[in-house]
Amino acid sequence: MANLETRALTKRFGGLVAVNDVSFDLSRGEILGVIGPNGAGKSTFINLVSGIYPPTSGTIHFNGRDVTDMEAHRRAALGIARTFQLIHPLEDLDVLENVMIGFLFARRLSRKEAKRQAEALCASMELEDLHRGVAQITMLETKKMEIAHALACAPELLFLDEVMAGLNAEETLDLIGLVKTIASRQNIGMGVVEHVMGVIRELTHRVIVLENGAIIAAGPYEEVVNDPRVREAYLGGAL
Amino acid sequence: MNSRSGIVIGALVFAAAVCLPLLSRSLPAIAGPYPLAVARDIFVYLALAVSWDMLFRSGQVSFGIAGFFGLGIYGAALSSLRFGFPAWLSILAAGAFAALVAALFGLVILRLRAIYFSITTLALAEIFRIIFHNGGDFTGGAEGLIMPSLISNSDSALYWVALSAVAAAVLASSWFERSKIRFALTAIRNNELQAKSSGIGIFKYLMIAFVVSSFIQGVAGGVQLQIYGAASPDDSFDTNFTLLPLAMALLGGVHSTAGPAIGAVILGIVSETLKLKIPYGHLVVYGIIIVVVILFMPNGLYGLWRGRTARRADAGRGGERRHHGGPQEPGPGTVGAEEARRG
Amino acid sequence: MQMKRKTIVPTTSSTRALVAGSAGLVVAIAIFLWKPTVLVYGLQRAGLYAAIAIPMALVLGIVHIVNLSHGEFMMVAAYLTYFAAKLLGLDPLVAMVPVSIVMSVFGFAVYRLTIRRALRAPELNQLILTFGLGIALSQSINLLFTSQSWNLSLDYVTSSATVGNYSFGTYDFVFVVAAIVFAGGLRLFLTRTRMGKAALAVGQNPRGAAIVGIDVDRAYAFVFSLSVGLIGLMGALFLTKQAIFPTVGGPYTMKSFCLVAMAGVGNITGVLWGSLALGLAEVAMTNVRALRDWSSIVFFVIIIATILVRAIRERKA
Repeated sequence: MANLETRALTKRFGGLVAVNDVSFDLSRGEILGVIGPNGAGKSTFINLVSGIYPPTSGTIHFNGRDVTDMEAHRRAALGIARTFQLIHPLEDLDVLENVMIGFLFARRLSRKEAKRQAEALCASMELEDLHRGVAQITMLETKKMEIAHALACAPELLFLDEVMAGLNAEETLDLIGLVKTIASRQNIGMGVVEHVMGVIRELTHRVIVLENGAIIAAGPYEEVVNDPRVREAYLGGAL
Repeated sequence: MNSRSGIVIGALVFAAAVCLPLLSRSLPAIAGPYPLAVARDIFVYLALAVSWDMLFRSGQVSFGIAGFFGLGIYGAALSSLRFGFPAWLSILAAGAFAALVAALFGLVILRLRAIYFSITTLALAEIFRIIFHNGGDFTGGAEGLIMPSLISNSDSALYWVALSAVAAAVLASSWFERSKIRFALTAIRNNELQAKSSGIGIFKYLMIAFVVSSFIQGVAGGVQLQIYGAASPDDSFDTNFTLLPLAMALLGGVHSTAGPAIGAVILGIVSETLKLKIPYGHLVVYGIIIVVVILFMPNGLYGLWRGRTARRADAGRGGERRHHGGPQEPGPGTVGAEEARRG
Repeated sequence: MQMKRKTIVPTTSSTRALVAGSAGLVVAIAIFLWKPTVLVYGLQRAGLYAAIAIPMALVLGIVHIVNLSHGEFMMVAAYLTYFAAKLLGLDPLVAMVPVSIVMSVFGFAVYRLTIRRALRAPELNQLILTFGLGIALSQSINLLFTSQSWNLSLDYVTSSATVGNYSFGTYDFVFVVAAIVFAGGLRLFLTRTRMGKAALAVGQNPRGAAIVGIDVDRAYAFVFSLSVGLIGLMGALFLTKQAIFPTVGGPYTMKSFCLVAMAGVGNITGVLWGSLALGLAEVAMTNVRALRDWSSIVFFVIIIATILVRAIRERKA
């Protein structure tokens, strides 16, 4: 049984169907790519899984348990974490304190213990100078902090929402290496939403493609990228 | 200033405050009956200012301080007059009563955000006032209630009773600052989505902040009853009890324990001197202070001082925060609605 | 397994309008059969509330801030009108125009000096700012003129009419006229004039409007000044019928916010209907002896109820 299973997951905002009948599985240790043109519903999909919105219909099961109606903070405590596409770090806390949040609340550690583990986590991700304010760190450091923030929740599953956006080639490679290491070392299952195909190719075991909220293709990267329906979705027509 | 020296300074100041009435004969100018009376009024406002800030740390602006303060006054009066509670117990009952009402209403109104929450707290204060006004003989109606006997008539005793309200407020606020609660409230204030995705139960922590701050406001009300001996709909729920603490907290420096306390002392003294010189409208200073502080020094005096002596040269703190996307439409529900529209 | 959410509230807006409309009609008939003058006075009070609320709705819809000092601007205008009447001998209905112009200029100054600075700050700061402004205004008036209440006794405000067995005051219909003029005039302005259309665009999408060359700051300044000018007109009207004192504006700020919150941002017709409902409810309650003391609670309870209903609906979406 997969760790995460969604069945017929659908989300409507008024008349707009953002996520349409999506059924998929994700297990620990797998890295799943989620791609699709803009507006395909990728971020909404992550929001449904992490509990930011309740679905209009459909179910989500985590480790056999029905979490469809469970609030986001409890899902984080159970083991589903995610990063945000538009990163808004907590500006009144410094870098270390931002990372401590997950340890304090999702894992319910004491302040002392949370601090110790947060420092260790940051060290393993090569994040230094942790008492800086969040406005003073570089883009790559922001991304690392965001990932660390999510990892602090001790997730079994981690969803990365366009985490590579805004990085140059070198930084992207750096982060890809980091993500791979984390996934394998802690046996975390990942859902990676990306636009940069190179990242998807490097990182993922398999891919699902969303268009207008529905899955139009699924499979290994090579297969999916040659699927004519996927090409049409991205390019709007046969070449 | 790190937290250890903060505790030391706080303890010293508190000890000095406790000893003040003992000097009443030798230094009547700063410890005689009049200064003690001014001081105990300041103490009540200090407790209110600190308690307001405790909820403000979560990002919610309450305009309902007067409501819970008034509930405290009436709670104490009724528990004494109708149920025979001794004075000290009535003060605790006042706090408990306000906290209970806060918990009940909080179940519902803590789902609101921004202006919707704020206006609801203002509306609640008004509703409480009208309920006690219309409560017939039980609550004393429009004239209210007068206490036949109080804890004491001595200036020193009343001073110390008021100081106990300060102690309660400062202890509660420090607890918030030194525990996980500080992280939770700050995270909620900065970004609710991030907070809830990291395991913070937003409703739980808002409820804690709301109930504890209302408890302190109720206790302050219980103390007020001992000082003034009367409860009445118009006086006990006067909007000045919302306005002044808010201005004090802003001026002194929000998101801290020391800030509102400093603001209360400064504005309390300023207000007292102004009241003697200007019979009407001395409160205009408060309005001006609120406007000036919020525009030019939103972190208040304590914030300015803290920013200057901070080890970290931190551009992220202090001053105005850039709000993504310009002026936004207030929505009554959760913050998630705005992110939702971006898909 | 499929899970269908049950919707208890009818979902289409036309069925909702039908239900609300029929309920309203039933209530109106009931009131008419019981005490017809309640309909008259309810309508007049609705006019007053609507006319005061509409300028707040304008600012909220376009500049996107809630002006918690809204009532205080009306109070200042009323005081200005009072002086125009006492010192210059102008009837308030005449002084209305110059007072409104003076208020617009004042509103512009307030916008430039304070509100503009707060537009980039978090919403909390804007809230607190306008709250502080309100206090500064009401207490300045208190300082200058004490808290004594002043009024003008004008003979035309006691005009009345008699229909069948019932007689009622007719002057207050002027508030209904004001409300309709404001609503209609604003609609024309926003949809037919260039400035108005630009303002609408700014309200819907400030960044987009800026990109196509609209001066957003000028639009904000204009709208805010216009709103203060309108409320200035209301201040003069207000003085004709009511006594004024420094804190007279406060309750009207709250009630205006209540109406705007109920109607939803930008929905001026909603404000009109809401005012009607609330005006009738308030007047009806003052006519029932047992409920009289609770009539002022109506607004507050309805504010809270409306806000909650919208919050719940937004969550279910």
